Amino acid sequence: MRVLLVEDSEELVALLKKGLTQGGFLADAVGTAADADHALSAMRYAAVVLDRGLPDADGLSLLRDLRRRGDSTPVLVLTARDGVSDRVTGLREGADDYLAKPFAMEELIARLQALLRRSDNLLGRQLTFGNVALDTEGRQVSVAGVVRPFPARETAVLEILLRRSGNVAPKRLFEDHLFGLSGDVGSNAVEVYVHRLRKMLADAGATVKVHTVRGVGYLLSEDKTA
Amino acid sequence: MRRFRSILGRVVALHVVAVGVISVLMPLALYWLLNEAANGLHRDSLMGQAVTVSGYLRPQANGGVAFDIPAEMRALYTGSYGLYAYAVIDPAGKVVFSSRNDGTALFPPGETHPGDWTMRRRSTGSVLFGVTVPRTIDDRTYQVQVGQDLSHRDVIIDDIVASFFPNVMWITFPLLLALLLIDILIFRRALAPVRDASTTAAAIGPTRTEVRLPEGGLPSEILPLVHAVNAALDRLEKGFRAQRDFTADMAHELRTPLTIIRARVDSLDPGPLRDALRADLENMTRVVNQVLDIAELESFVVGNARADLQAVCADAVALMAPLAVAQSKTIALGGVEHPVWVHGHAEALFRAVRNLVENAIRHTPADGSIEVEVLDGGIVRVLDDGPGVAEAERDTIFRRFWRRDRTKPESRGLGLAIVARVAETHEGRVAVENRPTGGAAFTLTLKPAETEGQSPERQP
Repeated sequence: MRVLLVEDSEELVALLKKGLTQGGFLADAVGTAADADHALSAMRYAAVVLDRGLPDADGLSLLRDLRRRGDSTPVLVLTARDGVSDRVTGLREGADDYLAKPFAMEELIARLQALLRRSDNLLGRQLTFGNVALDTEGRQVSVAGVVRPFPARETAVLEILLRRSGNVAPKRLFEDHLFGLSGDVGSNAVEVYVHRLRKMLADAGATVKVHTVRGVGYLLSEDKTA
Repeated sequence: MRRFRSILGRVVALHVVAVGVISVLMPLALYWLLNEAANGLHRDSLMGQAVTVSGYLRPQANGGVAFDIPAEMRALYTGSYGLYAYAVIDPAGKVVFSSRNDGTALFPPGETHPGDWTMRRRSTGSVLFGVTVPRTIDDRTYQVQVGQDLSHRDVIIDDIVASFFPNVMWITFPLLLALLLIDILIFRRALAPVRDASTTAAAIGPTRTEVRLPEGGLPSEILPLVHAVNAALDRLEKGFRAQRDFTADMAHELRTPLTIIRARVDSLDPGPLRDALRADLENMTRVVNQVLDIAELESFVVGNARADLQAVCADAVALMAPLAVAQSKTIALGGVEHPVWVHGHAEALFRAVRNLVENAIRHTPADGSIEVEVLDGGIVRVLDDGPGVAEAERDTIFRRFWRRDRTKPESRGLGLAIVARVAETHEGRVAVENRPTGGAAFTLTLKPAETEGQSPERQP
């Protein structure tokens, strides 16, 4: 999985390359927007990690050019600014995700993996969290290596939670996925499936728990005591 | 001039005084002029009479004079209702002809000179006004006096003068009033750009710095003032921009080394040292971020943006939920479920709510709960299960670097200062009180958005 790292600090590039390699990526690094332009036209990358503060241009102008050319390579923007008035700008310019400096290496890897999963299913079909795994093609759930027969709706709920693992998945997302646009969603329909899933996971001895964030959505967390 | 604060008021007041004075002076002046003209007509007429009368003097063979006045003329001079009177005086001062029954002169002969105008009050009380003209016959100069009783002056001319005064009042007063009204309209029109500029100036608040007063169409007397105000606003905005640039540079300078340290620490072998360093770095990062937020908010301008407070709170709760769950605390979003549009910058409001939630999580014990409530009218309430806030601390808690417990190294007191600053920049307010059940209730009140259809965020 080859990604392009556009970052001008050599020290950071060395460290990030090392971290990305450990995370299963191959990283090419360039230090300027011009070099990034060359690299992107010469080769197809799975994703781009783009710093906003480049010596020759704002990273966002590079992103704009990329999108104008119709290139839809997923881009993760890094920024040292993250000011009140900067935060939303990057996403609006066509960035797929946004990470404020300083960040944890694990976070960068996780976000990149999420980006690739979202774009082309380039990364494996296996979603895992704690001792729970889901084969998104075969629709098969396994807990601690044992395959469990979960019904389709509960599996769909679990998939959404796994894709967002560590973050809250909004309730609306479940409604859209489970019931499509047909509407007619009972106000507690999602809650019913979440409740069943919770029980199934507990019965199967899963180390993950589904938390309700009332008014917002659901959150999968690893229960370290279990 | 304290009574008349507005230029228009002053102009109208002075104008009313001027109209009053003119409406008295102008008829008086016109009356005087008309009277002069009438008198002139009288004199011309008397002089004409005198010349005509003197034309009737004819030299006689005996060296005397005869006076052949036609009968139709004589009627003018005789009788008690005769308009005019005449007397002819010879060089010796003797009255030779007179229209009067007693044959006396109109004016004492010694007192009059040819060409003189004379006025004499008679015993009957009427006033006789007349002229004396010379007439030379055979080297003897006679004086011809012609006079008129002023109480029987020419009726037509006198009528004009007498009726002039009320008429002139009827005409001039409405005209002057109309002029006054027209002037008020003219001044109102002339001052309209000034009023517009004032309205624009009133819209310049702490949330907007890009507004300038319109300089077009302003009277040249007021333009320098408006220009000076705009120049001051330019300098102010430049100062704000310099502050923003500085904050952005500072963010880069502080975060780049932190990123390198973080990446270096992450590449260390797992162990207690790495975990400790990570925790230290996370605290350091939090403080740096808060300091940068505070610095940016110093020169932050909300602009004309509006934000959905419900969505902002949902985002903030979603972001903080993993932290709460990791500490075995529950968090929920309550209140209304429809969009609540407020005047504000979504990201700034997000940071305010996030800091309130972060503060609530920190002070809520394990197994406690945090509730965020969004209410119509632009109100957010963040309720926690913590110890609450003592009455004496309810103001100081929003100050920078204020800490309830100075022994806890990780709780720098910038979070609530950020909330207070965001509230201030949004012309809103934040307050804290204790819940009946214990625990603190923070209330952030914002201004509801007035209109629909504005851009949800302002580009920097």
